Amino acid sequence: MRHPYRHASSSRALFAAVAATAVLVACSSSAKPSSSASSHAPLKIGISLSLTGDFSDPGKSAERGYRLWADTVNAKGGILGRKVQLSIVDDTSSPTQVVGNYQNLITKDHVDLTFGPFSSLLTIPASQVAKRYGYAFLEPAGGGPKVFAQHLHNLFFVQPAPVVKQGDVFADYILSLPAARRPKTAAYPALDDPFASPIADEVRTRLEAAGIKTVYQQIYPAEITDLTPVVSAMAAKKPDLVVGGTQADDAYRMVKAMVQLKWAPKLLYLSNGANDPHNFPGNVGASNVDGIFSSGDWFPSSNTYGNAGFLSAYTRKYGGTAGTIDSTSAEAYSCGQLLEEVAAKTGKVDNATLISALHTGSWQTLEGNLSWNADGAANSSYVLVQWISGKMLPVYPAGRAQHAPVIAALPWGG
Amino acid sequence: MHEAVQAVILGVLTGGVYALMASGQTLIFGVMKVVNLAQGALVILAAFLSHSLFTAWGVDPFLSVLIIAPLMFALGAAVQWLLLRPLHQDDAALLSLLVTFAVALGIEGALTVVYHTDYRTTRPAYVDRSWRIAGYQVGEVRLAAFALSLITLGGLWMLLSRTRFGRSVRATVQNPVAARLLGVETARVAALGFGLGAATAAAAGAVYGMVYSFNPNSHYDLISRLLSVVILGGLGSLGGTVVAALVMGVASSLVGALASPVWSDFSFFVVLLAVLLLRPQGLFGARLRGAL
Repeated sequence: MRHPYRHASSSRALFAAVAATAVLVACSSSAKPSSSASSHAPLKIGISLSLTGDFSDPGKSAERGYRLWADTVNAKGGILGRKVQLSIVDDTSSPTQVVGNYQNLITKDHVDLTFGPFSSLLTIPASQVAKRYGYAFLEPAGGGPKVFAQHLHNLFFVQPAPVVKQGDVFADYILSLPAARRPKTAAYPALDDPFASPIADEVRTRLEAAGIKTVYQQIYPAEITDLTPVVSAMAAKKPDLVVGGTQADDAYRMVKAMVQLKWAPKLLYLSNGANDPHNFPGNVGASNVDGIFSSGDWFPSSNTYGNAGFLSAYTRKYGGTAGTIDSTSAEAYSCGQLLEEVAAKTGKVDNATLISALHTGSWQTLEGNLSWNADGAANSSYVLVQWISGKMLPVYPAGRAQHAPVIAALPWGG
Repeated sequence: MHEAVQAVILGVLTGGVYALMASGQTLIFGVMKVVNLAQGALVILAAFLSHSLFTAWGVDPFLSVLIIAPLMFALGAAVQWLLLRPLHQDDAALLSLLVTFAVALGIEGALTVVYHTDYRTTRPAYVDRSWRIAGYQVGEVRLAAFALSLITLGGLWMLLSRTRFGRSVRATVQNPVAARLLGVETARVAALGFGLGAATAAAAGAVYGMVYSFNPNSHYDLISRLLSVVILGGLGSLGGTVVAALVMGVASSLVGALASPVWSDFSFFVVLLAVLLLRPQGLFGARLRGAL
């Protein structure tokens, strides 16, 4: 005999059990990468970018790079037949907002993958969110030491090496010179900034070990508006070589101070500022740039994988010239290149595959061939560039060089 | 010794640039007693306008002052008339601090939208020129800035001490009620005075844009120095502004060259504190009663 109540009760119990299971599954799936998406569903990639606030300019550069890559790959049919769909949200340059953004992208929007924001400041908290939910975190612009000190296995910094290693390529070049041609003395003025002074320190350590005497070493604060007194004091020590741990503004000020004082060392390397093909000549004068060394991860004239296509697609989509492209756009675009390559090689595009694949072998990007250590720091090296005849050209290492380095008097030298 | 002399020369020339930038602040803060946190932003706004005129139409930065000064005058007068004049007299000194800070942020925001955050420098053909005198380098633009600051401050002195408008300004500041009773249109005078102070930012901005690279955030570095120069010189003392700017320039330059640039800015504030402890009215300030 069927007992209506029992039957009803059993049905309710069954319904409750199914519902509870469904809720559990839903909860569970909300905190996991959605690798089970149908094979033709769009591949959703969540990105938080600084579209307003302090980092809005580079943030928008990153956005241009990401969107250009998405357009390019979709024009080819997408990744494994799935169209790429970017979900880009504004973090207002705030390390608090960026956490909320990635939480929402992962747990509410259920994006399949995530790419990184701009700056180490935002990458650190964002990468922790990605780690918590098992997402791979390909990030174009967080290269500070604290990013790698997190020891996150899911993080991949898509530039050739950690930022503090940026000057190593210049040290390599100097140490490659015959002893007779090497500078004998060096000065190291550097901005009090975690992305500036450590670069000069790394170069100094290596050059001192090779016998190049340090005659001047000085850290200056970011607030200092006039570097003429610093340059005047440095000039009095008559160094052959100046290695400036600089960012943008102070690099301009240092060169302007040298020009005003009509003093020039035999060799001048500036870690940043001088590697900006658009703004550097405009700020220090196009006639004052020749001979100055700098280094960076990407340049319009790079002969790296896909660069020619990137340049033409970029100028077609956004206008301007190759010389006005911000390297942040190339860094963001490179994140997408990596995704394409992993999918092509493995036939999969889920987070676990991305993490394991990228920790194996070497991968081609606009940034050169990249491989990573366990903490996500790339093992390659930056490119040394030099201003020659008004153009910034890669000069070292030989495999990336388009011109031999030139040791000649700086234009304003007295 | 050579290093020290070169540092003093650099300091004097830098002081000239700061004297020029502080001239408007002297009028607005020193004479009119309005704590104006927007003066640095006005200087940077003028630097951008001068840069645009130079890059778009080739207008020489020094000549651009003639175009920019009326615009800055109008902006300054509008700020005073629309935002500062309505403030209640009892709270005006304190509230002007907030209002002018808001104006500074507004200018910064507008500049960021229009020009973005890249650094710029205005670079006419003569910007790198310097004379070599007895083995020391003297930059032409900085020397011109020094001369311009003396002309501007001299002009302000003439205006304040030798004209009816100047007497109206001083009367308005010292006793607005009595000034009104004597027929002075105090609201109009205050707006014109603020506008005049803002107009001097045109010359300061044109020079700043040539000597330093700048972006919309650069005004933060300026404002504390401009206020300090006016206080050190003595509120209302135009000559004191020049001397204070020179003290600031030379102290910063000497410490930066001979000790450490870390302490170069701090050295000026040490001088400022020492002077204020010994002479609270500043180097050339008078003890006045009745000033706002």
